[in-house]
Amino acid sequence: MLHIDRIRPTYFEESACAHSEVWLQRVNVEPGERIQIQAPSGSGKTSLTHFLYGMRREYVGSIQFDSVELKHMNPDQLADLRREKLSVVFQDLRLFLEPTLRENFEIKRQLTDFHPATCIEEWAKRLGIGHRLDTPARLCSYGEQQRASIIRGLLQPFKWILLDEPFSHLDDANARKAMDLILEESEKQGAAILLADLEIVPHYPQTRLLRL
Amino acid sequence: MKRPSFHIIRPLLLTGARSSSRWFSYIGLGIGVLLLLLAQQLYIDIQALVKQTSIRKNGFDYISITKQITNENMGRDNRFSPADLDSLRQQSFIQGAAPLTSNRFEVVATAGDQIPFASDIFLEALDNEFIDTVPPGFDWQPGQATVPLIFSSDFLEMYNVFAPSYGLPQLSMETASNVVIGLRCEGQKGGATFRAQIVAFSDRINSLLAPKEFLDWANLEFEGLPSANASRVYLKTTDANNPDLLQHLTQKSYRVNKEKTAFGRSKQILQGVIAGLGIFGVLVVALALLLFSFYLQLMVARSRDNLQLLLTIGYRPDWLSKQVARRFIPVYLAVVSAALAATQLMQYGFHQFVMYNRPELSSLLHPSVWVTAIVLTGLSIFTNMRMVRKLLYGLS
Repeated sequence: MLHIDRIRPTYFEESACAHSEVWLQRVNVEPGERIQIQAPSGSGKTSLTHFLYGMRREYVGSIQFDSVELKHMNPDQLADLRREKLSVVFQDLRLFLEPTLRENFEIKRQLTDFHPATCIEEWAKRLGIGHRLDTPARLCSYGEQQRASIIRGLLQPFKWILLDEPFSHLDDANARKAMDLILEESEKQGAAILLADLEIVPHYPQTRLLRL
Repeated sequence: MKRPSFHIIRPLLLTGARSSSRWFSYIGLGIGVLLLLLAQQLYIDIQALVKQTSIRKNGFDYISITKQITNENMGRDNRFSPADLDSLRQQSFIQGAAPLTSNRFEVVATAGDQIPFASDIFLEALDNEFIDTVPPGFDWQPGQATVPLIFSSDFLEMYNVFAPSYGLPQLSMETASNVVIGLRCEGQKGGATFRAQIVAFSDRINSLLAPKEFLDWANLEFEGLPSANASRVYLKTTDANNPDLLQHLTQKSYRVNKEKTAFGRSKQILQGVIAGLGIFGVLVVALALLLFSFYLQLMVARSRDNLQLLLTIGYRPDWLSKQVARRFIPVYLAVVSAALAATQLMQYGFHQFVMYNRPELSSLLHPSVWVTAIVLTGLSIFTNMRMVRKLLYGLS
């Protein structure tokens, strides 16, 4: 279970959080839930993703994964959480630019060996980047890199997956394909999805909408 | 955690870091370790070489003095009186004075059946503290049949020069130590025969030394007299070359055994040079380690983004630091092993070709040199691993 308990970025005034359904609220994320976080620019969407992923700590309040306080985890415990339970697709993608897409996937996949290597070929083909597998990431378009980032996010076991504007550079057809793959894999693992975007994503079958 | 392959992330770690600085640090480390180990081994070698000729013991110089014999004082009693000894002991630059007392009865030494040798000899005695090589058991009690002797190595050398002319066999130190000597002591009040054995050789004292207890006892027993005033006195001083000491001795017309003093000084200088070489080695090692730690920091700084991303996607800093360490540990071991092998080779060459007739030296390295090499390797690996770990934990 993920508990978000009255968190607020330290750089936000309390008054700025008055109408938020996340900041300064208690939010419990149940297994298998599909949460849409709608957040206009500047409302702290990326900050929230970074707080939940344990990358930044400039917040007050508490975030607990399976009753363990995120702020109390040491670097090795945090690595264990990210490897075994918590996945992410960053808005700024964060791929290794010199290695190929395949190497990017392998770097993630071999951490747990949760998925077989054949998954890489299969998912890359499904999202239309099968032919780019052996191309260095820096030579791929932003849309291709975004799909690669989604595949990398799925190449591990997870109970929660954080998606920060995951389809911002994809056309509708490609966004649907990517969404289907995310839903399929999350369902298989019984994982909860927290998708944050500027607008409501139409093809995302959300179970709860939270405005930031 | 499953063990991921390092192979795939290896290029991410070394991006941008110039390997030349790494190789410079390895070469520097090799040279530094070589200097350090070599200095240590040479220091040990010198200790072994001069052990028997040292005039220094427990941090003091020991020198012998006699009264200068001139045409004017010839025929007078030129021995040191108790008053002379007291005067010497009162000087601030003299930490002790011991007379070399001698026998007042006749002594004849025979060397048994194997060596047909018999000669009148003299025996002398000195406080054990002033003797450079005092073996355990160099003492005597009334009733003891065997008298231990310390023999001057110069005397043995002299004997070996003249022995062939007299049809006598030349003797090594080991053989001389095994010869059972017959000591016939004869005085006005009686006599006795003892067995004597050479238990040590002295480079410092040109005499035939018996335990002081024996000489004091025998002088009384055979001659009815206490040990006589000595003609030679040993001085204990912190610096045998102290100008005040030398001036005092000149004033008193005492003659110093200078050759031994000079040797002791040159040994000290040599040890100083070797110690300096060792310190230089330590400095080079420290510099090389510093250079290598800079290289590691540079590597981590240059691949900071990649390392940070690896940590972000779930790589443990603990695992990553071990992988980085694995990159340099084998090279480290190889560098120190090479320096150790070179030191061994030099020691072998030194012993076999330069000091080939020196049984007190060994062709193999002293165990302490191995210990130094192992400690140095362990220390360098430990400090560098700790640094990498700290840097990586700092990134996560």
